[in-house]
Amino acid sequence: MTQTIGTADLTAVGQTLTVDGLTVHYGGVCAVDNVSFTVPAGQAVGIIGANGAGKSSTLKALMGLVPRRVATMRLGDKDISKVKGRDMVRHGVGYVPEGRHVFPGLPVEKNLYLGAYAKPWNARTRAVASEVYELFPVLGEMRHRLAGALSGGQQQMLAIGRALMSQPSVLLLDEPSMGLSPKLVNDIVQVLQRLSSQGLTILLVEQNAKLTFEVTSSCLVMENGVVAMTGTSQELSHDSRVRRIYLGL
Amino acid sequence: MRYRIGAIAALAIAAWLLPYQLDAYSMHVVDVMLIFALLAVGLGLAMGIAGQINLAQVAFFGVAAYGTAILTTREGFGFWTAAVIAIVIAAAFGLVIGLPALRMQSHYLGIVTLGLALAFTNWVTNAEMTGGAEGISAIPAPILPVVDLSNEYLFYYLELIVFAVALAFGLFVVHTPLGRRMRAMRDDDLAAGAVGVEVPMLRMTAFLLASVYGGLAGVLYAGLIRYVAPETFSIANMFFLLAMVIIGGRQSLIGCVVGAVGLTLVRELLADYPTYAQIAYGSVVVLIVVFAPTGLAGIPARAAVAARRVGLLPSRSAGTPPSLRPFQPYEPVTAETSGRGPILQVDGVDMSFRGLKALQRVSLTVEPGEIRGIVGPNGSGKTTLFNVVSGLYKPTAGRVRINGRDMTAARSFRLAQAGIARTFQNLRLFKQLTVRENILVALDQTRTHHAWRYALWPIGIWRHDNALRTEAGEILGRFGLDDFGDSLPGALPYGIQRRAEIARAMARRPILLLLDEPAAGLNGDEVRQLSQIVRSIRSSGVTVVIIEHNMGLVMSLCEQITVFASGAVIAEGVPADVARSPKVIEAYLGDSAMSHDVPEATPTEVVP
Amino acid sequence: MQIFIQTFIGGVSLGAIYALVALGFSLVYRTMGLVNFSHGNVVMIGAYIASTFYLSAKLPFALAMVIALGVTGLIGAIIERVLRPLENKDFDLMLIGTIGFGIVLEALAILIWGATGHAVRSPVPAAPLDIAGIKIRTYDLVVLAIATAATLLLMLFLQRSKRGAAMQAVAMDHEAATAVGIHVGRSNAIAFMLGAALAALAGGLVGPLLYVNPTMGGTLGIKGFAGAILGGFGSIPGAIVGGIAIGVLDSFAAGHFQGYSELVTFVVFTVIIMIRPTGVFGERTVNRA
Repeated sequence: MTQTIGTADLTAVGQTLTVDGLTVHYGGVCAVDNVSFTVPAGQAVGIIGANGAGKSSTLKALMGLVPRRVATMRLGDKDISKVKGRDMVRHGVGYVPEGRHVFPGLPVEKNLYLGAYAKPWNARTRAVASEVYELFPVLGEMRHRLAGALSGGQQQMLAIGRALMSQPSVLLLDEPSMGLSPKLVNDIVQVLQRLSSQGLTILLVEQNAKLTFEVTSSCLVMENGVVAMTGTSQELSHDSRVRRIYLGL
Repeated sequence: MRYRIGAIAALAIAAWLLPYQLDAYSMHVVDVMLIFALLAVGLGLAMGIAGQINLAQVAFFGVAAYGTAILTTREGFGFWTAAVIAIVIAAAFGLVIGLPALRMQSHYLGIVTLGLALAFTNWVTNAEMTGGAEGISAIPAPILPVVDLSNEYLFYYLELIVFAVALAFGLFVVHTPLGRRMRAMRDDDLAAGAVGVEVPMLRMTAFLLASVYGGLAGVLYAGLIRYVAPETFSIANMFFLLAMVIIGGRQSLIGCVVGAVGLTLVRELLADYPTYAQIAYGSVVVLIVVFAPTGLAGIPARAAVAARRVGLLPSRSAGTPPSLRPFQPYEPVTAETSGRGPILQVDGVDMSFRGLKALQRVSLTVEPGEIRGIVGPNGSGKTTLFNVVSGLYKPTAGRVRINGRDMTAARSFRLAQAGIARTFQNLRLFKQLTVRENILVALDQTRTHHAWRYALWPIGIWRHDNALRTEAGEILGRFGLDDFGDSLPGALPYGIQRRAEIARAMARRPILLLLDEPAAGLNGDEVRQLSQIVRSIRSSGVTVVIIEHNMGLVMSLCEQITVFASGAVIAEGVPADVARSPKVIEAYLGDSAMSHDVPEATPTEVVP
Repeated sequence: MQIFIQTFIGGVSLGAIYALVALGFSLVYRTMGLVNFSHGNVVMIGAYIASTFYLSAKLPFALAMVIALGVTGLIGAIIERVLRPLENKDFDLMLIGTIGFGIVLEALAILIWGATGHAVRSPVPAAPLDIAGIKIRTYDLVVLAIATAATLLLMLFLQRSKRGAAMQAVAMDHEAATAVGIHVGRSNAIAFMLGAALAALAGGLVGPLLYVNPTMGGTLGIKGFAGAILGGFGSIPGAIVGGIAIGVLDSFAAGHFQGYSELVTFVVFTVIIMIRPTGVFGERTVNRA
């Protein structure tokens, strides 16, 4: 039932995210077991799988938020395997955490500006913020409201906007659709498709396979901490094995 | 064991002969040291064993000391009568100070108790009854027929006896069910409640114990010094006492004694340089807290661990390595389930947290003897449902009925007493209790108000404890945990910890068992064993509700599944049907179109 | 009525001091989740340093205060650095660690300045002003003015500056804060130093009001702490309201109960806290891992 395929075979052009031999242990469990993949520059790649498959742990480990062992981790030509969690954003990695994690006691605009913490706050920051407002008009309308007062969907947009404020070269998203209604999920899909068409490299971790197939060009399917399947989103969306892996049959 | 008795005997002889070696001044110092040791033990019981921040210990000390002073000098009571009354007053004071502990913990409790201690000092410095800033002097010495207790050598023997009895009692409490429950409460008061520990009453008991010890110390102090003044019961002395307990090791009563003895000696040695002494013990507190949080008492254990790692001591697992034995199935019980009504009824339950709706009009019914599965994507409200049913949350609307009884507003320990047991998604074993002790806490169904038996009928407690231990041994054996009974949970592999948590839940002899993601992190073999265990549990007459993501396990184990999404029930039925329902597929995969050609779910029977 | 207002005004001035102490407590708690039991003794050190430089070295009052702020800021940084391994892990132990620091600070004060303490004369003329029949000491107005200015500056810092926003972000969600590039440890250190500086400010100002002695830290600390909790631990406006409330409560208690004022204050405080544990403005709980 499970096939362990190591490296995903995807072509790399320009600045690419390369991960090789990522392993994460915590609480006595091996959450991610020797996982490798590549996200080619300008492409969107998805990691899907059932709950507990190790998808979120993979992203958290990339961001250095949980302890990890990794053989190689590169962004373009730069080795980022030793970069601390708080410096990842300075190397061009934007992160949208699972469960949004906006700063609830601060207004929307402050949340966005904090996304650009690693850079000086000046006219350029203002310009980037207005681009975010253009992408998410509802955020513009609520820019002085406290982030804690926003609905789940609005907070999700805020979290994405916050990550974009650092003008990242790769965007990591952890289950952005969690707890959202189908309509909001659709909105997220539109935004991600638009960002992808503008050339942003995206790594999307999701439980919702449909959303992932619509946004990404290729996917990894994880199960029990290993990569069970890979393929283009087109192929996987018609593959019954994906369903079986999700339902644990 | 023989070494221990020998050591205790040697210590006892040495203690008895001590006065012969000392001059009058040193004897006096030892007398004061014993009083502080008594205070430290009381503080250790409240803080180290029960986890209650008690910065009012010095006030209990003062209440009894002043009580004795006032009753003897102003009211003409004899010393012994005054002493008894003073201790009762101190105990009452302890209960009053314990009241805030019901509403708050940690830093709030710290500031409230400290503030009340300050209030006591303030009152004592001003009141006419207490002699104001000058205090009360000329307290009559206690009178015994043959012995002249105004002599500090002879007073020492009185103190020694009181101290020995008090310490023995303290150790007795720690190693028996009451102490175990307190330690469980200290480690994880949430899990303690779920296992039936009456947390609020236990907190009060902790303060009661602390105040009785403080009271004993106060009475002895009044009899020894025969003069009480506000400075002795100041905040400075409270912090000095705290330092004794922290440096000695608050979780060990012997550690508290060592701390008291050590710091009193240091203060004596540095009597000419009191400020340097203060800098010293303040710094040591900081160092201990950062580098050796278990205090001096914890150093032997840490040294042993380090020695084993380096090879100086033989490794614990020399010989046959410990292993998980197979599970011994329960005796199947044929219960008459017809006409008994549902065991769990959830009716229109809403659960909102500050605007976030975690559960929306959730209704479900579980019949006795079922194995019910609860499934759904992340964040759909499954654990919230468990938390409502087991009493951790009070729902914003709706009712929860257990066997027809409305238990919506019941607290978790009441629900545990009513027969609900559970495990937790993130494992909540009591980390500083061994596996055996975890099970012992769950087995112990005595109510806190029977704690008086400790003072008046310790033999009964002893027998009860032995009976519990026998039962615990049986449970360990049933679950194959014999080799791990004396290990701390943190040292055990994940799969074994999970099994221990189930064993602990079953120790409650529940009627309804809630398992929250019991298969998370388990490998294929362990999942098969889990399935076998759950079936056996059900056959012993327990209804099981299980939250799981491992669909294979759910399909093979559960007769019925309830599916959650976004806080509401979206489907319910036989696993085979539910797995093909378009709504369910959409909830999980995002697209009902993917429900085409889902293979027939063939439940795989696991032969018990 | 006159007496009522007089007592009230008298309480506000000392209350402003308590408010500053409460502000320091709340700031550190809100950003780090740490209850700093050494805070009161930092106030005491601040009082000593300011008064020593003012009295012995004859420096202008303002300059003496600045020196006090600098030294206590340093003390704050040291305490944070030493206790950093416990941050976000064991709060009870951190609490006890700060008690340990407090004990050391008190002993150091006795070593350096002796145990008897000294009085500090007011830097402004002592003659009270007469406003509509109410006597207000000039110095009280100075205290109120400085306390207000400090509060405003703190709020400006938190609301308008990048570091201030970062500090608040760390308090709310330290994982998300790390993801946007904030150095959590450094942010906590700054919070601690600011807290210590506020303590020093309170200490420097309180010199002319109370007798400066090594044990003053205990009472000031506890009252400031009570004020912070009353107003809602972690809330900045709450700290102000709570601190002044304790000051006024104290003043009325002193008026009616003389020596028993502390007893009354703490009993009232305990009752209020038991009825409403989260205080007037509610507890802004720090996101603990």
